[in-house]
Amino acid sequence: MRTPRPDQVRIGFYICHCGTNIAGALDVGEVVNHVAGLPGVALARDYKYLCSDPGQELIQHDIRDHGLNRIVVAACSPLMHERTFRRAVEEAGLNPFYCHMVNIREHDAWVHTDRQEATAKAKALATGAVRRVALHKPLETKKVPIHGEVLVVGGGIAGIHAALILADAGKRVYLVEREPTIGGHMARFDKTFPTLDCAACILTPKMSAVGAHPNITLWTYSEVTQVEGYVGNFNVTVTRKPRYVIEDACTGCLQCIEACIYHDARFPDEFNLGLGKRKPIHLPFPQATPPVVLIDPGTCIEFKTGKCKKTCVEACADRRAIDFQQREETRQIQVGTIIIATGFQTFDPRRIPYYGYGVFPTVYTALEVERLLNAAGPTGGEVILRNGKPPQRVGIVHCVGSRDENTNRYCSRVCCLYSLKLAHLIKEHTGAEVYNFYIDIRTPGKGMEEFYNRVAEEGMHLVRGKVADVYPDPADPANGRLMLQVEDTLMGRILKVPVDMLVLSVGLEPRADTQEVRRKFNLCCGPEGFFLERHPKLAPVSSYAEGVFLAGCCQGPKDIPDTVAQAGAAAAQALALIVRGYTEQEPNTAYVREEDCSGCKSCIPLCPYTAISLAADKQKAFINEALCKGCGVCVAACPSGSIGQNLFEDEQLLSEVEGVLTYA
Amino acid sequence: MIATIEPELATVCQRDTTLETLLQQPEGRRILSCIQCGICAGTCPYGEYMDFPPRRIISMLRRGLMEEVFQSDSMLRCVACYACMTKCPRGIRLSDVLLPLVKEQTLQRAPEMPAELQRSLQNTLRYGNPMGESSRKRANWVTTSPVPVPILAEIRRPVDVLWFVECYTSYYPRGQDNSRAVARLFNALGIDFAILGNEEKCAGDCGQLTWESGLFETLTDYNMEILRKYKFNRLVTGDTHAYNAFRIRYPMYGFNYELEHTTPFLTRHVEQLKPRLKKPLNVTVTYHDACCLGRRAGFYEEGRTLLRAIPGVKLVEMVHNRMNSLCCGGGGGGMWLDTYFKQKGMDRLSERRIKEALATGADVLAISCPYEVYRFEDALKTLPHARPMRVRDVVELLAESLED
Ligand SMILES: Cc1cc2nc3c(=O)[nH]c(=O)nc-3n(C[C@H](O)[C@H](O)[C@H](O)COP(=O)(O)OP(=O)(O)OC[C@H]3O[C@@H](n4cnc5c(N)ncnc54)[C@H](O)[C@@H]3O)c2cc1C
Repeated sequence: MRTPRPDQVRIGFYICHCGTNIAGALDVGEVVNHVAGLPGVALARDYKYLCSDPGQELIQHDIRDHGLNRIVVAACSPLMHERTFRRAVEEAGLNPFYCHMVNIREHDAWVHTDRQEATAKAKALATGAVRRVALHKPLETKKVPIHGEVLVVGGGIAGIHAALILADAGKRVYLVEREPTIGGHMARFDKTFPTLDCAACILTPKMSAVGAHPNITLWTYSEVTQVEGYVGNFNVTVTRKPRYVIEDACTGCLQCIEACIYHDARFPDEFNLGLGKRKPIHLPFPQATPPVVLIDPGTCIEFKTGKCKKTCVEACADRRAIDFQQREETRQIQVGTIIIATGFQTFDPRRIPYYGYGVFPTVYTALEVERLLNAAGPTGGEVILRNGKPPQRVGIVHCVGSRDENTNRYCSRVCCLYSLKLAHLIKEHTGAEVYNFYIDIRTPGKGMEEFYNRVAEEGMHLVRGKVADVYPDPADPANGRLMLQVEDTLMGRILKVPVDMLVLSVGLEPRADTQEVRRKFNLCCGPEGFFLERHPKLAPVSSYAEGVFLAGCCQGPKDIPDTVAQAGAAAAQALALIVRGYTEQEPNTAYVREEDCSGCKSCIPLCPYTAISLAADKQKAFINEALCKGCGVCVAACPSGSIGQNLFEDEQLLSEVEGVLTYA
Repeated sequence: MIATIEPELATVCQRDTTLETLLQQPEGRRILSCIQCGICAGTCPYGEYMDFPPRRIISMLRRGLMEEVFQSDSMLRCVACYACMTKCPRGIRLSDVLLPLVKEQTLQRAPEMPAELQRSLQNTLRYGNPMGESSRKRANWVTTSPVPVPILAEIRRPVDVLWFVECYTSYYPRGQDNSRAVARLFNALGIDFAILGNEEKCAGDCGQLTWESGLFETLTDYNMEILRKYKFNRLVTGDTHAYNAFRIRYPMYGFNYELEHTTPFLTRHVEQLKPRLKKPLNVTVTYHDACCLGRRAGFYEEGRTLLRAIPGVKLVEMVHNRMNSLCCGGGGGGMWLDTYFKQKGMDRLSERRIKEALATGADVLAISCPYEVYRFEDALKTLPHARPMRVRDVVELLAESLED
């Protein structure tokens, strides 16, 4: 091996064909020829798949045989393979930060159709990279230890499952749920497709396991209000809303509810979506976890007048669980990793006024029907309409708020199946004629097509067409009968179908507070508004925030089997970080050249990661490397130019820009 | 050929788009994405009378079988109510692009044009109005107005509002009621306005929707020339079809004046108007959303806001309201196809609508499109009903309540 003089830059340039992904769209040979002639370039090559083992070995041999000390790889996005090539370069004895990637796949080959122009762009980008890499400095990655505790946000089936896996593995889990009970949407269902097992039978054992697990701290009626820090070391503030009942003292005997001064339940019950009634002191549903009642100050007489006889307190007696003075409390915790499992909300069908939801009392959402079917629901499991009668003819409209440019463009994935489920259950409960109006029936997944078959064989009417209009049946307007107008597209005929009950299969949407949660945890959202995974295929549970993972419907609509699978994966990823014990930090951090810093403090409020403070003794800005994410805001903002950034030094960037421009 | 398109439409197809080139345009790609859900056919007021409702037209277009579609008169039955376009989950601009193109071809191949329609279009070309009245009598109604109505050619000065009156509101007695009301309201608000008088000709919206593009262009060229003669800040019209034409088609001919329909215009002035609305009307009113004002332009609440401003008005809603409103059947040439539709055994949409209006128990059916007076008053004559019902434009009701 020849040892070049340390000040002599010897660049190796490699361009990847990526099969035909790159080579099909631009002339790799021409790029190689061009780069080979640039100053500092000792060698330029193309290769079919550089990320393959032989590809990496090629680079490693060249480093040794040709004394290369800088490497430029023109290939895919650095998000995909920067790590691969840095590792390969490091194994060959070079500092990994002497390797630089140029993205000519996503930024070039995939987005252009003109071969010549695409080749020219690749040359320009490569020239920039060659200029830049010559100025690279050796850098070191830092190892940061990881706390073993995990925060799980959201206690639906996703959060429950992830929490249990981690707790069973011996990790401390904080499960924070906004509602008074965990369970999420699944707790509201009667049965679940495709097997029709009872939702409660499979969910409530897991709920109580969460409640009883020594490694799980369960905070319901709570929300994460602040998150600081970084992977391995998050400082989290949780706010606990007052339920006016002391959790540790309440035994869940429910005698207080019995004793409430209101004899009858008379306030709309949130858990039953307003279809049933509750008292001011209530438990959302019998298997609520924790089994702790709560008081709604908006309806409780004591809160409104201060003059209640407080029969609830009497009934509670020496358990003394009721505390009208309870205040909001905050808790501080430190965790190493976070799992976001905040789920979804159902589409509000008032946004499609022609389906008459909120206008005609016989129009229901699918979720409301789940409650009507549920034995613990407001009607004890009987499907009866608001007028007290069971329906004889029921229409179920698919794709309400899905696959629609006017509302949500995407397919909500579960509605076909839950509509078939509801059709089966409604028929079973009432014997009604049930019509499913669909655009396409989508039933992929294990056991799903079989379930579709089964329901079809039971004699459902399956009409292919999107219901266009809903109005009171002119022949029978008094009984709340509705007429559905729809084209049966397979027959090519306009049908008018009278029904007593209309069920809207509402789609799954990002929760209303998604943007708030996104900001709090530094996440990204996709175009439809769900949290964005790091890679749709290869990193489906990682978010763009290091150490924060996604599980369940907050990442996109999915059924329970997929939700549980994803929750397991998120738990495993969190566990993988904890078990390793540390993370590596990109050294692309900003640093202060103290001699130039005037201590003006303009950078401090700008830093989105609160990484900058004023060193009191020196009156100079101080950047906490562990917190710095390398966003560069302070670098650009510093009035005296005294902040630099590793890997993004001014001279490096300017040479890169020059390189790009000189080619063009 | 699409002769004219609004600027917003220009992003989805070209001025010279034909059925042959449509699928290569952005709008055509949307059409390729049609999922054949049938909501267009289901919502179409005449869907059940069409062999080829929009959904089937799309599938025939995609298979290259359009000749078969042109042989059917399905598209003649389209009343351009914009319901299919509003509800389409793929955002296909049916009423703007595909359907008029099909209508054009259908009419070109039709052995004969329905007589009534033929006559109206000829009249429009010859006299500048579909009823075949003399163009010199267009401004005659002005003499019956309780307040002065200045005519631009006479006053010879710039005005704030050029009020484009349009045909029905100039010639037909019940239309003139509308015009007299608008004049009073403008006067009460102190608006500096004037009309074109006998120089005005039909804006030609229906010529366009029945795909007589030649006729439309003659009218456009004429009106644009007249408009260029005068100075004004905005053009206001009480005719929703003229409004539609100026909004959607005229921009391609250089029309870039500020444009308003009287209903939203007056709503902008409602606070000024309110103290002058002194006479309580003591009636229950139901409001009909005109297609070109509601579904096509998104003005659903303005008419209702005005009605609520009138003392003694109780507003009730029909089953089909706002974006789900039922068309009166007058658009797309439907105004002159009643006989044809009847021959084909089709029910009248205006009667369908009146039944809903009657069911509300309202005393007054309020409208904001001059076509509707005739359509609904006619329907009231043919439909037996126990309680009397009056049809009134929103501006008429406002003027009724106006202090003298
Ligand atoms: C009508 C209907 C029927 C369905 N039927 C079936 C079926 O039969 N079979 C099937 O497999 N799938 C079914 N699904 C799909 C199923 O509901 C989902 O797969 C599942 O509920 C997803 O669970 P999750 O935990 O991701 O979300 P959720 O169930 O939405 O749980 C999220 C939890 O997070 C909490 N939360 C939200 N935001 C915050 C926050 N900021 N802080 C703290 N907590 C928060 C919520 O309160 C909630 O408890 C159905 C869906 C619908 C709409």
